[in-house]
Amino acid sequence: MSQNENNSFTYSQVTNDVVRMLEKPTYKWWALFLPTLGFVGIGMVCFFYQVYTGLGVAGYRHPVFWGVYITNFVFWVGIAHSGTLISAILYLFRARFRMSIYRVSEAMTVFAVLTAGLFPIIHLGRAWNFYWLFPYPNQRELWINFKSPLVWDVFAVSTYLTVSSVFFFVGMIPDIAAVRDKVTAVPRKIIYTILSLGWKGSHWEWLHYSRAYLYFAALATPLVLSVHSVVSWDFAMANVPGWHSTIFAPYFVAGAIFSGLAMVITLTIPLRKIFRLENYITMDNYDGMAKLILFTGGIVTYSYATEILLSWYTGSPFEWGQTYYRMTGPYAPLFWTMIFCNVVAPIPLWFKKYRSNIKVLFIISLLINIGMWFERFNIITMSLSHEFEPGAWGIYKISWVEAGITAGSFAWFFMFFLIFIKTLPAVSIAEIKEILPVPKKGGNK
Amino acid sequence: MKSDQGVLGIFTYLDTVTDAVKELKNNGYEQLKVFSPFPNHEIEDVMEESPSPVRYFTLFGGLLGATCGFGFTVLTAMSWPIPVSAKPVVSIIPFMVIVFELTILFGALSTLIGLLINSFVRKRAPITLYDPRFSDDKFGIMVVCPEDKIKNVESILKSRGAEEVKFDTVEY
Amino acid sequence: MSDDNKSGLKRRDFLKLLGVAGTTAAVTGGCSSEPVNQLIPYVIPPDKFIPGIPSYFASTCRECPAGCGLIVKNREGRAIKVEGNPEAPVNMGGTCARGQASLQGLYNPDRIRSPLIYKEETARLAPVGWEKAEKALSDKISTLIEQGKGDRIVYLSNNVSGTFRDLVDKWLKATGGGKHYSYETFSHEPIRKANEILYGKDVIPSYRIENADFVLSFGADFLETWLSPVNFSKGFSKLHTVKNDTTGKVIQVEPRMSVTAASADKWVQIRPGTEMYLALGIANVIINKGWAKANAGLLAGVVSTYTPSKVSTITDVPAETIVQIAKGFSENKSLAIGGGAAYTGSNATQTQVAVNILNHIVGNVGNTVDYSDILMISNLNSYQEIAELVNKMNKGEVEMLIVHNTNPVFTLPPGLKVKEAISKVTDVVSFSSFMDETTELASLIMPDSTFLESWGDYQPTQKYVGIIQPVMSPVFNTKQTGDVLLSVAGNIDSAKGSFEVDNYLDYLKNSWKKVARYVSPGENFDSFWKKTLEKGGVTFHLEPAQVELSPSVMNVEFDEAGFAGNGDMYFITYPSYRFYDGSGANRPWLQELPEALSTSVWDSFVEIHPDTAKKLGVRTGTYVDIKTDQGSIRTQAFVYEGIRPDTIAVPFGLGHKSFGRYAEGRGVNPLDILPASSDSLSGGFTWFSTKANISSNGDYELLVRIQYSETQDDREVAQAVNIKDLPALEQDHEEPPEFYHEREYPTYRWAMAIDLNKCTGCGACVTACFAENNLPVVGKEQVAKRREMHWLRIERYFDKDTEGKLETKFLPMLCQQCGNAPCEPVCPVYATYHNQEGLNGMVYNRCVGTRYCSNNCTYKVRRFNWFTYKFPEPLNWQLNPDVTVRTKGVMEKCTFCVQRIKYAEDIAKDNNSIVKDGDMMTACQQACATEAITFGNLLEEGSMVNELSKNKRGYKVLKEINTKPAITYLKKVKWDKV
Repeated sequence: MSQNENNSFTYSQVTNDVVRMLEKPTYKWWALFLPTLGFVGIGMVCFFYQVYTGLGVAGYRHPVFWGVYITNFVFWVGIAHSGTLISAILYLFRARFRMSIYRVSEAMTVFAVLTAGLFPIIHLGRAWNFYWLFPYPNQRELWINFKSPLVWDVFAVSTYLTVSSVFFFVGMIPDIAAVRDKVTAVPRKIIYTILSLGWKGSHWEWLHYSRAYLYFAALATPLVLSVHSVVSWDFAMANVPGWHSTIFAPYFVAGAIFSGLAMVITLTIPLRKIFRLENYITMDNYDGMAKLILFTGGIVTYSYATEILLSWYTGSPFEWGQTYYRMTGPYAPLFWTMIFCNVVAPIPLWFKKYRSNIKVLFIISLLINIGMWFERFNIITMSLSHEFEPGAWGIYKISWVEAGITAGSFAWFFMFFLIFIKTLPAVSIAEIKEILPVPKKGGNK
Repeated sequence: MKSDQGVLGIFTYLDTVTDAVKELKNNGYEQLKVFSPFPNHEIEDVMEESPSPVRYFTLFGGLLGATCGFGFTVLTAMSWPIPVSAKPVVSIIPFMVIVFELTILFGALSTLIGLLINSFVRKRAPITLYDPRFSDDKFGIMVVCPEDKIKNVESILKSRGAEEVKFDTVEY
Repeated sequence: MSDDNKSGLKRRDFLKLLGVAGTTAAVTGGCSSEPVNQLIPYVIPPDKFIPGIPSYFASTCRECPAGCGLIVKNREGRAIKVEGNPEAPVNMGGTCARGQASLQGLYNPDRIRSPLIYKEETARLAPVGWEKAEKALSDKISTLIEQGKGDRIVYLSNNVSGTFRDLVDKWLKATGGGKHYSYETFSHEPIRKANEILYGKDVIPSYRIENADFVLSFGADFLETWLSPVNFSKGFSKLHTVKNDTTGKVIQVEPRMSVTAASADKWVQIRPGTEMYLALGIANVIINKGWAKANAGLLAGVVSTYTPSKVSTITDVPAETIVQIAKGFSENKSLAIGGGAAYTGSNATQTQVAVNILNHIVGNVGNTVDYSDILMISNLNSYQEIAELVNKMNKGEVEMLIVHNTNPVFTLPPGLKVKEAISKVTDVVSFSSFMDETTELASLIMPDSTFLESWGDYQPTQKYVGIIQPVMSPVFNTKQTGDVLLSVAGNIDSAKGSFEVDNYLDYLKNSWKKVARYVSPGENFDSFWKKTLEKGGVTFHLEPAQVELSPSVMNVEFDEAGFAGNGDMYFITYPSYRFYDGSGANRPWLQELPEALSTSVWDSFVEIHPDTAKKLGVRTGTYVDIKTDQGSIRTQAFVYEGIRPDTIAVPFGLGHKSFGRYAEGRGVNPLDILPASSDSLSGGFTWFSTKANISSNGDYELLVRIQYSETQDDREVAQAVNIKDLPALEQDHEEPPEFYHEREYPTYRWAMAIDLNKCTGCGACVTACFAENNLPVVGKEQVAKRREMHWLRIERYFDKDTEGKLETKFLPMLCQQCGNAPCEPVCPVYATYHNQEGLNGMVYNRCVGTRYCSNNCTYKVRRFNWFTYKFPEPLNWQLNPDVTVRTKGVMEKCTFCVQRIKYAEDIAKDNNSIVKDGDMMTACQQACATEAITFGNLLEEGSMVNELSKNKRGYKVLKEINTKPAITYLKKVKWDKV
C-alpha cells in the first residue's frame, strides 16, 4: 500500500473498520448462509446414502476407479496453496501488497484443506475404515505402507492442515486482543478474551511473536511446495500413461498457486464490495496478484506443451495414444475447455488496463477456477479410461450422488468462510497499522 | 514474594515513548514493559532485549521430527516385513517424504510451544497495569519500582509526554 | 512340444486321486436316504464324510445330447463344482460353459418346488403331495385304458437312451400302447439321411477330428454346439498343437464368422446356401487331378459338371482357393464335416451328400469318419414326425401328452401352431423341472429331479454308456421321473404286473446286470457296479464297421437352396453355445458370459456387415426390425465384418415368454419369424430357409458388452506368428537391468502358460471361475456400467491379416501375478502384497477400497465390489466354502485358485513332499477343453509350465512395462494361405 492513500485514516479507524465487520449479521448474510447450510445437508445425505448402498451409486466404472472425488481433492488442495503462498512466501519477500489480503487467504487455506481432507475418505470403498490409513498401534501389529503415495498424502495433508491452522491462529492473536478491547457484549467479550490468550501487546510479547511468526513462515514455505508435489506423486508414481511423468510436481505446484490466486480474487472482490474495504484491499493488491497469476499461468501453459511434446517424442503408443485421445476422444470438449480457461483466458492480464478492471479480473478468475477443476478431472479420469489394454477401455460419467457431494463440498467451504468473516478479524489490524506512518511528536523525518 | 509499585504511563507518540524509555534506563529503572498496537523496531532497539530463544525450539522440533520420521518408518517396516513388488522392505527414498513432513510438523508445533512459553509464561514481572487502548492507538510504559521511587518515575513519564499515569502494586 | 500325452498322463494321475474319494462318494451317494430339503451342512457328519474334505461323484451331463462325463465336487452334502470326467471318452476331462452352469439348473431359484395340479375352482395350478399327484395321473391313465384309449397317450421327451428309453417304452406298452417321441431342437436329420443315401445307414457317425490334421467344415459349428462340441474341442486341441514348426488346419466355410470360424485357420465367406456346390467343386478337382485315394467309382460322374470356375461363380469362392483346399484336403489326413443347424436349408441333405462324397473319395471313411461308433441321437424323431404329431394333436387324436425335459412350444416354429395343438389335448402332463412355455399348458406337473439329483444312465455313442448318479439329495420336493413312472404303473391294475421293481434305482441295476454280464462276465455285480460308479461309465469294444457305397447316390438331385420370402437379406439363426436350444437361458452364469465375438451379455442382437449397416444407417446398438412373411422381431444391431453384406444373423436361445426370472422377456426368439418348413429329403427342420427385410427407425441404446474396443490399436497385446517364421522364431528373454536385486522364491513360483493357438474363446474357463471363486452375477444394468466381476475375461480383438482379411484373436486375460506388481506398492494398507510362492496376495479384510491398485494395474484385471451382491436362495448353496464371499467396498481379483493350491500343498505336506506337476489344476485350466491353459510350479524342472514358458512362441503381454508377469502366452500361429 502506498503512503498517500492512507494518510486519510488513523489507527483507531483501522480498528473500528475491522471490528465493524464483526457486527450482528445482516439479513443479506443469512440469505447467503442458510442456502449454504442446505447444500451442506444435501452433500451429507448423498454421502450417507453412498456409504449405505455402496460405492456403486457413484459413477465409477471399470477401468476408471478414480473420478470426481479425487478431482475435488486435488482442486481444493490446490486452492489452499495460494493462502500459504501469500501469507508465508510473500511475507518472507516482504511484499507489502499481501498485508490486507493475507488473513482472508489464510482462512481460505484452512477451510480449503478442511474440504480437501474429506474427499480421500468419501471416495473410500469402506469409508468407515478410513482410520486404517493412519499409523496407530494395534494388536495385529499392522502398520501402514510408507511406500504408498496415498500414505504420503495422509502425512502431507494432515501436516499441512495443522501447520496452516497454527499459522492462521497465531497471526490473529494481537487482532483478537484488539477486538477484545473493543467489544462490550458479554458472551463475545469472554470468547475473545479466551482466544486472545491474554495478549497485551507488550514489547516482550512482540519480541517472541515476530520471531515465531518468521519461523512459521519459513517452515510453511517448503511445506506448501511439498504438499502439492506429494499430491502430484499420487499420479506420477503410477505407471498409467498420462500420469507417469516427472514434471508433475512443479506442474502441480504452479497449477495450485495459479488456481489459488484466482480463488482469492474471486472471494475478495465481493468481500471488498460488501464491507466497503476499498481502502484496504486496493487495486495495487489485485495488480500484484494478477502478475503472479500471469507467472504461474505461464508455467502451467508450458507444462501442457511439455506433456504433449514428450508423449509424442517417447514414440510410445500408450503415451501418444493417451494425448491423442485427450484431444480428440469423447472427453475432448473438456480438454479444450481447460486449454481455453487456463491458457487463453489469462492473456488480457498482460495489460495494465485489464489488470485494474475489477469486472475483467473477476471473470478471468472464475474461468481459471473452472479451468483448473477440469485440468484435474482430465488428468485423472481421461488417463484411466484409456490405458494400456484396449480391451479394458471405458468411459466414466459423473452420477447425481457425486454431483451432490461436490456441491456440498463447495457449500462446506463457503459455510466456514461466511462464519469466519462474521466472527474473526478478516483484515490484519496489527499489520495494517505496522505500515501506517508512525505518529511522532516531532513528525516523521 | 516481593511486592513493588507499578507505574504506567500512556503515550500517543512513539518518539516520546522511546525518549521516556531512554530516560528511565539512564535513571536505573530496568523493570520496563512497553506496550504498542503493533511490533515496532524503534521500541525493540531502545529496549535492547537479547534475541528471542524461540528459534531453539524450532530447531529442536525440526530435528526431533526428522528422527522420529526416520525411525518410525524404518522400524514399522521391519517389525512385520511385507514385501511388495520386488522392492526392499526398507526403502529409504520413499520414506524421506514422511521424514520431511514430520520435520515440518514437529518444527511448527514446537515453535508454537516456544512462543507460548516465552511470551506468556516466562514473564519477568506480571503485567497488572494495562489499558485497552494499547491494542488500538496508544503506547504505554509500565515501570516496576520500589515504593519510594514512584514520584520520580511519575515525573519522568510526565515530563516525557505521558498523557496519563496510573499506579498499582505488583507482587512477584 | 509334447504337452498332450504329458497332460493325458497327468490327468490320469489326477483321477486316481478322485477314484479314492469317489469310492466313499459312490457309497454314500448310493444310499442318499436323507429326507429332501434337509441340505444343511452336517453338524454330526456321517462316518464316510469328513467335514472340509470334498467327495467327488462321477456322473454324466444332460445339458445337451453330447453326454459328457462329469465329476461333481460335493462339500458337506452340497454339490459345489462340476468338472469333466477324464475317463469319459466323450469329453476326456473337458467341460463347456453349459456343463459348468448345470449347477445353476440344480440350484435355480425358479425351479418348480413341488408337484402342481390344475384346480378348476381357482383356475390355477396349486401345489399337491406326490401321492395325490401320482394318483391323479394313474387315475387318468386308468380311465383312458378302460375307454381303450391307452394308445392315445404320447410321451414326448428329449433324447433319452439306455435304460430310461427302455423304461418308457415298457411303461407305454403297459399303459395301453401309447407312443414315445424323442425330440431335440437340433436333431441333424440331413446327416442321417445323407448316410442312408450313400451307405444305406440312417445314422450319425463319429467324426474323429483328433485323427485329422485338415478339417474342412461346411458350417458345422463343432466347437460350439454341433453334435459333441467338447469332444471336438479336444480333437481341435490335438490338431492345433504346434509340433516341429507345423500344426493342423481348420477351414470353416460359412456366410458368417461363427466362434468356430474365428478359431479356424481360414474362414471362407461363401454365398449362403451354396456350400454343396463348393464341396462338389472340391471333389471334382480332387478326382480330375487324380488326388483321390479311395476308388471314386460312380462318384466321378456325380461331380463331373462342377468345375472350379463354375463353382466359383456360384459360391463367390475364388477358383484358386477351391483348388488349394482340394489339394490340402487330399494331401493331409483330412475330414469334411457339415450340417450345422444354422445352415440346414432346403438342400441340407444334398449338402451332406456332397460332404460325404469328399470324405469318401479321399478315404476318410474308417479313419476320421467312424461308422461303428454311431451317435445315439440317430434315434431321434425327425422334425417331420414331430410335425405329424402336432397334426394329430390338432385333430384331437391325442388324449394325453406327457412332456419331459423338452420345450416344443419354444423350440418349434409358431407356424406349426404347436401351442394351439397342445391346448387341444385333454390331459397335458409335464415332468419339467422348470416352468417353461410348454409346462405352462400342463394341467399336472410332476417336477423331475435334475440329472444331478437322479439315478440313470445315458449312452451318447454306441461305444460308451455313462452312469448318472445323484450327487446330492434333491434340493426341492422333486422326484425323478423314473420313480414316478414306476409308482404310477403300480397304481394301475393292468400295468401292475409289468414291472418287477417299484423304484428306478433297482430297475437301473437290473438293466446293468445285463451290461455287467456282457462287459465283465463272471464279476460279482456289486463290485462291478461300484467300479462303474467310480469310473462314471463303461466303454464297449466295437468292431470297425464297413460301409458300401450305394448306387442311390446317383439319383440325388443337387438343386440349389430355396429361400422363402421376398426379403433382400439372408436370415441366419444359429444355436448359441451359451443357451443351446434355450434351455441355458435361465442360468445367470451363462447370461453374464459374454458371447465371444460380440462380447454381448444378457440380450439378443443381430449381426450386420458394416456396409449394410451404413446403407441402413445403423450402428452397433441401434434397434433393427427384421421382417419375414412370418412376422417381425426387433433387436439391437451388432455391426462387424464377420458376416457377409447380404446376410444377417440372430442367435437362438433367448426370447423366452416364461422360464424364470433370468430368462423371461429377455431378447428375441428368431424362430418366431421362421417358416415351418422342412428339408424334403430328410424331413429335418430348415433353420436357414427364409430371406428377411431389415429396417430401422434409428432408436439407439447401448448394446451391453464387456468389451467396446474392436481392434487392439497396434498394441501387440494378442500376438500371432506366421507359420513361415516359426522355425526362425526366438522368444525374447531379454530383461531390463534391475534396480533392486531379484526376488527369490524358496519352493514354488506358481505360473501359467496359455496357448493362443488353442484358445477358442468358448468361455468354459470364465464360467468355471464363477463357480469356483464365488463370483457374483451383477446383471445387465451393472454390466452396462462395466461392473461385471469376471476375474478372467476373454479379450477379443479383430485385426486385419496380410490380405486385409478379418482376423480374430482371443486373449484370456486374468491376474498375471506379476513378479514386479504395480498394484502392490501403491496400497496404503498392505491389502495386496507379494507372497513367497510368487502369488499376488489380496487381503479382503484389510482392504479399505482406495482402488489405487486397480488404477495402477497394467492389465486391468482387478474388480471392485461396488455393492454387496446377492446370491438368491438357493443359488447361494453352490458357494465354495473355501472361498470368501466378498462384501461391498473391497477389491478382488484372480488368485490362481489359491484355495486349490493350499489344498494340494496340504496333501503334499502329509506325504512329506511338495506339490508336483499335475497334482492340482486351477478351475479355468481344468475346464478348458482345448487344454490351452497350463498351470504349475515354474521352479520345478521339467514341469509343463516350465517347458512352455521357455517355448519359442512364448511372450509376455506388455513386457515393456516390466511387470514380470507369471503368465506366458504362446503366440497364435497364422497360415498365410490355405
